Amino acid sequence: MRKLLAVLAALCVLAAVPGTAMAADPAPKKVIKIGVTQAVDSMNPFLAVRLVTGSIQRMIYGFLTVPDSKTLQPSPDLAESWTTSPDGLTWTFKIRQAKWSDGQPITADDAAWTFNKMMTDDAAKTGNGPAVENFASVTANGQELTIKLKAPQASMLDNPVPIMPKHVWEKVKDIGKYDAEVYPTVGSGPYVAVEHKKDQFVRLEANPDYWRGRPKIDELQIIFYDNPAASIVGLKKGDIDLIGRLNPSDFESLKGDDNIVQWNTQGRRATYLQVNHGATTSDNKPIGDGHPALKDPKVRTALHYAIDKQKLVDEVQGGLAKPADGSIIPPLYKDFFWEASGAEKITFDLAKANKILDDAGYKKGADGVRTMPDGSRKLQFRFSIHTDAPVEDKLAEYLTGWFKEVGITLTTKRLDSSKFTEETGTTALFDIAISGWSVNPDPEEVLGTHLCSRRPTASGDGGGTESFYCDPTYESLYLEQQKELDRGKRAETIKKMEERLYTDAPVIALYYPNDLEGYRKDRIAGITPIPEDKGLLYGGSGYWPFYTLEAVSKDGASADGGGSSTGVIAGIAAGVVVLALAGFFVLRRRSGAADERE
Amino acid sequence: MTTAVEELEQTPVRHGLLRYAATKAGGALLSIAMVIVATFFLFRLLPGDPVRALAQGRNMTPEQLDLERARLGLDKSIPEQFLHFVGQTLRFDLGVSYEYKRPVLDLIGERIGSTLLLTGTALVVAVSLGLWQGARAGWKPGSKFDKVSTAISLVLWSVPTFWLGLLLLMVFAAGIGPIPGIFPTRGSSSVDKPDGFAGVLDVAQHMVLPCLTLVAVVYAQYLLVMRSSVIDEVGQDYITTARAKGLRDDDIRRKHAVPNALLPTVTLVFMRIGFVVGGAVTVEAIFSWPGLGQLFYEAIRVPDFTLMQGTFLLITVSVILMNTLADVVYHLLDPRVRSA
Repeated sequence: MRKLLAVLAALCVLAAVPGTAMAADPAPKKVIKIGVTQAVDSMNPFLAVRLVTGSIQRMIYGFLTVPDSKTLQPSPDLAESWTTSPDGLTWTFKIRQAKWSDGQPITADDAAWTFNKMMTDDAAKTGNGPAVENFASVTANGQELTIKLKAPQASMLDNPVPIMPKHVWEKVKDIGKYDAEVYPTVGSGPYVAVEHKKDQFVRLEANPDYWRGRPKIDELQIIFYDNPAASIVGLKKGDIDLIGRLNPSDFESLKGDDNIVQWNTQGRRATYLQVNHGATTSDNKPIGDGHPALKDPKVRTALHYAIDKQKLVDEVQGGLAKPADGSIIPPLYKDFFWEASGAEKITFDLAKANKILDDAGYKKGADGVRTMPDGSRKLQFRFSIHTDAPVEDKLAEYLTGWFKEVGITLTTKRLDSSKFTEETGTTALFDIAISGWSVNPDPEEVLGTHLCSRRPTASGDGGGTESFYCDPTYESLYLEQQKELDRGKRAETIKKMEERLYTDAPVIALYYPNDLEGYRKDRIAGITPIPEDKGLLYGGSGYWPFYTLEAVSKDGASADGGGSSTGVIAGIAAGVVVLALAGFFVLRRRSGAADERE
Repeated sequence: MTTAVEELEQTPVRHGLLRYAATKAGGALLSIAMVIVATFFLFRLLPGDPVRALAQGRNMTPEQLDLERARLGLDKSIPEQFLHFVGQTLRFDLGVSYEYKRPVLDLIGERIGSTLLLTGTALVVAVSLGLWQGARAGWKPGSKFDKVSTAISLVLWSVPTFWLGLLLLMVFAAGIGPIPGIFPTRGSSSVDKPDGFAGVLDVAQHMVLPCLTLVAVVYAQYLLVMRSSVIDEVGQDYITTARAKGLRDDDIRRKHAVPNALLPTVTLVFMRIGFVVGGAVTVEAIFSWPGLGQLFYEAIRVPDFTLMQGTFLLITVSVILMNTLADVVYHLLDPRVRSA
């Protein structure tokens, strides 16, 4: 036992002072560490689906276009310029004269190979399959890339597919089983991945040959935390320099730290209620067990009037959100954002909600709960939320209170995430459910989640609907915006779609949560958000924030030196404590033996 | 002159042991077979469609969902899937993970090292600490040492792991007041992990807090088992004899009482070795330790059937094997089990 204690003590002392064991770096590298709470699923862009992996791909690979850092409009990336045929079916891109990180030239052939791989190999569709669904053919001629479409598609310039180096990837035999763990990666983005330790970190180094110019820092580390609370501790301590996607309470806990900047800007997400307004399958057969009263647009409108969005923002989101007077596209996307005004605008008004329901014949019973006009059922709705989601619990509490005032009983139903997805997206076993979506610079994806074709098939196979909505007006507007290549005209159409969703209320937008992040200003000297005006740092579109990162230059080794000397002191202190304890036990043992002798 | 007698006595014992071990091994195999069957159906009972879960928040057409389903083999009927699964498992092929798109065996192989390192170290420390304190506490029940150590261990035993882990993280990784944050907040090594001995130290430093958490919440069980079995021994005649011989109290405890009292703890320790493979889901999650527990947790969240099946099988099989081994070792150590 004594030996064991001694060994433990020795280990503790040594373990606590790693600073002494490490040699000082003569020319300190400029390193920035980004904390994330999601691990990389695959370094193979044909397979990866996670958000964190998407962000890393943006830093390693070039894309045809990238959202402009100011306007978020598509701007040149690997494609220098482009033209469209009058029928909108043929797109010709001029690929930039630039080099892969291994020195090979980038040609249109690389892009053509990437798209053709996805079009012909089902395994390669896992990551970004929908992006090439409308492609009829892709061909290359020198630096000229020609994409022929099956139907006009305005969102062509928001193509999310990273362009891969053909000379490296054509050697891969089975793309569906390839983990791409070969470093350094060959890419065309501002950084090159040099190391990936699974579930731990990805290390990126500046790409010296990047066509926009080398990034200002030398190394970017993406460090994974399983536990958001630990990542906050990590930021405060300096184990990481920046962390994004914070929830309001973690964000608040950063308050009062002089070295930390609390980043609070408009976000890319909308939070809304999904109302089961008579869910149907893709062949128009009813599905699920939604309450019949919710089929009545008047009931849905009355519910809308009974929600105090400002109160929700203040109490549920801690003031860190914007009440939604629009629909599913947040105000971050200025070009496409629509907001209700005038008579159309619905504001919190319980009396008005009551009047609408009274007029529509939903009479209140003795218990204060309304019944259907034919007296068949009471207006008792279920509200489906996720388990372990305190924010949603709080939201449910407020909604229940307001709905009670208008004679509607709301009961909360908590579901784990996969069951929730099934009941609110496929089987329609819900009345009202919490919902939300993170919107891209081109909103086509989120608009598509409310199309007829996205409803599940009769056999219950899902299609990705977020509302079971199927409305002729909305459908025709969708087709119209899809064909419209004029951005201004397209935006007008999209706004009409949002208006339709607002007034018909298959979904009721509650608020737009703010983008909450934190970074250390003693490490990060500069970072440009996207968009530049009050935009996002992590989780935005494109690589701008991480390309523009500037590190605080270290004058001498003052900051670091101090750190390692505290480490030494702490280590010595810990060692002393352990030795003292060991000594105590040994002495006790001796005195015990002495007692025995007497 | 002793050989003949010993031969006579030993042979039936050895035969008995072999037969006993064979019976136990047979039982273990049967259990493993049942676990394989149960694993498949258990995870099919979980709610949620894995393909829809994978498609969550992404735009996917029904055709693409079908494609995914075919890729994962989910388009086949349940009996077909089951036969496929059993055939694969018997060939030691655990399939390809839905989420990571890589063989489950590879994923397990990548993480088993760090899990064994963490939970193995914690087991050794917890067993040594628990048995040592338990022996001392049981020797003089009601003494100050007994009261203090039993109370402390029980308090730690009842503390939620997550809470204790976070507390340690806040205090010793972040640093509070005069306490400096000398331990890292995550992972099993630094990004710029140095080579050689410094690298070993780096890992050791990362291991302190998770290891401490694991030890703190489990060592009470060793302490209590050891304590009660030492208390049982204290009143025995052979102890009185040893005292009468004039042996020192410490010697009686260490050389006579403790070896006899160790038996019940053998089962406990072997059972825990089985669980070592499973890692510690909670502790791995708090300290972002890249081990099997974390992998299992991720798999449940998706849900990633093949990955869950694989990790679950590994954990249950190792528990079964260690239980069997415990039975056999017990048989060797304790003559009373032999005769029974």
